Amino acid sequence: SSHEHKLNFQKSKEACLNYIQDAMLQKQWKRAAEFLTFYIEALEKDFSREYMGPSEIIWRIGSEILWHHSHNGMKEFNSFIEQMKTLAITRYLKVSLEHVFHLLCNGLIDEAYQTLSLAESWRHGEQTSVQDKEMKLIEAYRGLLDYYSWAKQKHILLKHGQDGFEDLSVEQEMHNCFRKAAVNLKEIIKIPGVWDPFVKCYVDLLEFYGDHDEARQVLNEYAYNSKFPANPNAHVYLYQFLKRQGESKKSLISALKILHDSVPSHELMIDFNIMLQKSKKRKKRRLGLEVIFAALDYAGCKENVKAWSCLVKQLKQIVISEKHLDWITQEWNSRRDWWPAFHFSHYLAKRNWQENESLSYEKALVAGILLGKDCKYFKYVSHQGCKAQVKRFRMLKKFVNKHNPVYLRISG
Amino acid sequence: MQFPDSLFPSCFGAGPPREVWGPAPASGWGERGQVLEAGPDRRQVRARGVGPGNRGVGRAGPALTSYLLSLQCGTAFVPRRGRTGESWEPAEAAAVPVLPPNAGCWIPMLAPRDILCRGILRKKLRAGKFRAALDFTKQLSHFFVDHPDDAFGSLGQLLHKNFFLGDSKLKVSVSRDTTIRMTALMEEIERLEARRGCTQEHLVPRLRWFSHICRDWLFEVPLGVLGDYVHEELLLQCADLFFNDSPMGGALAWLPPEDTGARTGRLVYPGGRAMNHLYFQDVVLEELPRAWGSPAQFELNGRIRQVAAARVDGEDFVGVRSDYHCGVWSVPGRIRAAPAPLQVIRTSVPASCLTVSPHLPGELAVCTQSGAVYLWSVETGLQRLRHDPQTMFFRDHSPWRWSDFTAHPRVLSCADRTGLQCLDARAPERCHFDLFKVGEEADCQQGERVMLPMYLGRAHPSHHLVATQFSVYVMDERLPLVPMLKWVHMMKAPPFFAHLMPGESGRSHKVLLGASSTQELLLLQYQGERLQDWVCRSACQLVGPPQKLHSITDCLQHLPTQLPHCHHLLQQRLGAPAAGLAATLQKDRSQESLLVFQLSEAGDVFCQRLTHKIAQPTAPTSVDEAEPSASPQPSLAVLSPGAALRYRRWLKALFNVCGEPPRHCWLPILSQKRLFIRKELQSPAGPSALQGQVRQHLRQVMREKGRIQRWDTPDALTPTLTQHPELAEGVDTLSTRLTAAWSGDWVQWWEERTSYNMAQRRRALRERRRQQKRARSRCSLSASFTSSVTYQSELSELSDAAPLPLSPSHPPVLPGEGSPLRSSPPASPAPDEALLSSQNLRSRGIPKERRKTLRDYLAVWAEGPPEPPEPPGSQASQLCIPSSQSQLSQSQLSSASQPRRKRPRMGF
Repeated sequence: SSHEHKLNFQKSKEACLNYIQDAMLQKQWKRAAEFLTFYIEALEKDFSREYMGPSEIIWRIGSEILWHHSHNGMKEFNSFIEQMKTLAITRYLKVSLEHVFHLLCNGLIDEAYQTLSLAESWRHGEQTSVQDKEMKLIEAYRGLLDYYSWAKQKHILLKHGQDGFEDLSVEQEMHNCFRKAAVNLKEIIKIPGVWDPFVKCYVDLLEFYGDHDEARQVLNEYAYNSKFPANPNAHVYLYQFLKRQGESKKSLISALKILHDSVPSHELMIDFNIMLQKSKKRKKRRLGLEVIFAALDYAGCKENVKAWSCLVKQLKQIVISEKHLDWITQEWNSRRDWWPAFHFSHYLAKRNWQENESLSYEKALVAGILLGKDCKYFKYVSHQGCKAQVKRFRMLKKFVNKHNPVYLRISG
Repeated sequence: MQFPDSLFPSCFGAGPPREVWGPAPASGWGERGQVLEAGPDRRQVRARGVGPGNRGVGRAGPALTSYLLSLQCGTAFVPRRGRTGESWEPAEAAAVPVLPPNAGCWIPMLAPRDILCRGILRKKLRAGKFRAALDFTKQLSHFFVDHPDDAFGSLGQLLHKNFFLGDSKLKVSVSRDTTIRMTALMEEIERLEARRGCTQEHLVPRLRWFSHICRDWLFEVPLGVLGDYVHEELLLQCADLFFNDSPMGGALAWLPPEDTGARTGRLVYPGGRAMNHLYFQDVVLEELPRAWGSPAQFELNGRIRQVAAARVDGEDFVGVRSDYHCGVWSVPGRIRAAPAPLQVIRTSVPASCLTVSPHLPGELAVCTQSGAVYLWSVETGLQRLRHDPQTMFFRDHSPWRWSDFTAHPRVLSCADRTGLQCLDARAPERCHFDLFKVGEEADCQQGERVMLPMYLGRAHPSHHLVATQFSVYVMDERLPLVPMLKWVHMMKAPPFFAHLMPGESGRSHKVLLGASSTQELLLLQYQGERLQDWVCRSACQLVGPPQKLHSITDCLQHLPTQLPHCHHLLQQRLGAPAAGLAATLQKDRSQESLLVFQLSEAGDVFCQRLTHKIAQPTAPTSVDEAEPSASPQPSLAVLSPGAALRYRRWLKALFNVCGEPPRHCWLPILSQKRLFIRKELQSPAGPSALQGQVRQHLRQVMREKGRIQRWDTPDALTPTLTQHPELAEGVDTLSTRLTAAWSGDWVQWWEERTSYNMAQRRRALRERRRQQKRARSRCSLSASFTSSVTYQSELSELSDAAPLPLSPSHPPVLPGEGSPLRSSPPASPAPDEALLSSQNLRSRGIPKERRKTLRDYLAVWAEGPPEPPEPPGSQASQLCIPSSQSQLSQSQLSSASQPRRKRPRMGF
């Protein structure tokens, strides 16, 4: 009966797919390709109502095989994809987009641009929300490519400008590219998402043409719109923009303060701490100590010499002046129970000393101040340092011994 | 810690997942995901394979110059997925056992057919609307039979004097008043048993009456309550059959050697019959890893579900989770240092997770199924961070919880099936953020659930792996909710185990994913470059195609051919679900290899080696097409001699451990109880003189260690045989069937054998009787056999043995080897020819007219085709192997009865 026939067909289709999958997972591309030629029959009697029809499966598997196992390289791939575009008609945009990615990765920028333009003009029935998203991406990538050609023209122009030679057509072309790129890039960054490359390019365009207000607005939107994910890069871009604009310390600090709240371990926190240490305001210096302590909480900053030296600098300042010892006490209180094991164990002392002497120096100083001169870490490192007759370790020992009462006050 | 300068573009939605496509078969292939501009020196980096991917773009300093720099090189793009990865190739055709098979015969896990109604299961599954139908009554009756003491203990003891189960009449008048004779009831029950499966099953009034009276007081536990418990347990077991998340995380751990050059690591795994022994075994990594010395062993009081390990300050901490206990061991880094147990905690609700902190010594995270998350420190004890029986983001019934560590030693991630949150242990109520949510944020599908989260701290301190049944995600805690990487893994079963091997100096990180029930094993590579000082400059990319590794079952085809029952045993053993996964990288001069260990639920540890093939430095024509693996891999078909030896040893050890034949191999037995009533079968009291004579003879022969070739007094044998019904050895049905086919009446043979149609059989009997009446006016039973027996004797004349007597039988004496039938007597003796002698039948009080019917009935069975002539050289064996008609009838009778199915047992 026809039902049974359908069922059998379904079964053999599944079996064939399993074979293909198996071969691909073992990197037997040739074998997979052979099975795929059989699987193409599935297209003829496509009874399935599943989400992913055989045409999409063939597209996916076919392109994967061609990536890994192709003799003619791009030519073969392009002709395969062109067929797939007509075959998987509802997924046309997706297939085009993936095609563009492949072309871009192979350095075929012009071909990619053509494909994008072609895909942009494609219409088929009512657009689903997925297709809508894909169309937006296609436009955005075209904008990106326009940006790159703009940058190229600009490069030529600057070079020619240096030579004292002006070319109007190049300039015309450049402005043309700018317009096309700006329109598309502006569109995509309105949608919530992670659009780092697009935002960067768009801001660069705006800055070049002197539209700083627009650029600032775009970056502010990207960083602070609550519909967007909490992307640290958004804050970084804003900070860098503000820095380029020569903005006041205050606005830079407030930008970094927000980054500190979301990512306390970010590399910019060191810059932030340096900036705050220099500040005359007590509150800011207090914040600086908080920032550097928080950064060192993270496993990723455990061996960051820069961060440790920042902490050392600030701790030394406080200890020598003997003012605001309570700041240290406050910071230390929430870390007292786990920092010794996390940073200042005997094992780490040995390893740090062997691997990175300056790191062990900075850490030993912190350990000496926070844990006193009997701390294992300090004892080991200062002992080794003195044995190796390194001058700064002797100084270190002296310093800690001299300021041991401070430790007592902190711990008390 | 540096964050990637620029991330791959992606949309960010909010709310519940919109896409519905279920497990799509090929959805992981053929996608680049997105592309991102590569830095100017990216290509050089890739060509060298190592080196800092330091990009100038967008860093402090005017952006313009850097862009110009990049433009000089031509803008290059990198894809999110599809870049060339490292090439790792299996060194062996299959996984090889590392350790001898787990001691004790493994009891296979519960299968659906054991507790579900069979017919319904198949029908429902086919219809696609499956809801398990529990075979509740069967399980309850098994409980009564298997655990009578628990079911009726005290009342049984109280009443046993008042219940009489014997056959005789109650004689003493005193006891008659207080004792009930239960024999009739027992018989009714037995008859009921015989009619099992019959559609017209009528409950006998007597039984109904008994159960009505006893229902309320006979049971130790009131029947309703007991029923509820059994049903509840069945439901639990049934849910476990379809998805059991207790082995989540895996019960295998590898403790690498202290210094990377050393080759002796330590494997931590559970073993023993109940998987309640914890072993620490030193393993030397050679071509094939081998155990060194005997393992340190600890006996725990529960099945080990998970073994987790982490190294802090050169010391390994091993956390062990069983259902109600969690323990922690410390193993010093030195070689052969003994592991020391540190602390044990007990939970009232089963624990579902135990992870060891990679930051601080002696810290662990524990979750229980009640929704509680604890930070457990060996020094300070337990600290409860959260207690919430509800799931976090939307309602899900699963009580499973998981917790792991993050980049901040005081912040723990905490997961249920709906997503992940990060909690600060210092202020768990206030400080928390969502790390992963099943929803539009991560572009999830409907029905997608978190299966296994894992902290990828050794690769990058702020990365986490989240595996669902459809996809794997790499999350960065600095940018929560947005996956850095997403890939549809296309595994047939959800991943239960994951293992990370960080790649050093710019090389790709390898992640192994393992499934439990299907034993699938997948190797993925991803890159989020980890350089000195934890600098991570480029966004995460999935590199190279995913790779399937050998599963334990795969080695079945490489093992030597086994006898069917051994093969079955092996199949079951090797096909046991996976229970753990561990791996290690080993560098040996120029050769680098990856060793993957796998543990099965039977407690066997297998290992496979993958070797790193360094790509030939061909000049890349384009950015991404320097694919080295274009040549198809030669498929390894044969095992190396070393591996073959391993297999042989392992098999030998396995069969030594589980050598005894499976119990269900018993020959089918026909009960004669339905044929005669008990009185009819009672043999005359006291042994006759002949019996005594034969016994004496037997004893004498045994003393002389000789063999009984022929009985001296053949006429006196008939009663003897009633004593030895078990002597009847099953005759090879295959040969009789073949003979029948040869002589052309195979169809008849088959019909006789299988026909359940009594009417047909009766008709045949009647026909035969009529024929016999015509042929002989009066025939004795023995004469009815002669026709065939003559033929038999004619055949045996071919041999030069003495002519056999024309008696219905010459007593068969079996060779001394114990057959299953002999080693334990059958439940009910089968009728043999001795029963058929009219003398015997008369003595049993069978009326004349029935005697005849009976003989005819049995004659139908007896009327089989004769055996083919034996070759002349085997007279002795001919004499020893029973070949008389009676034997034939025996075997046919017995095969007519249905073989008894082994009863599934519940884990009460």
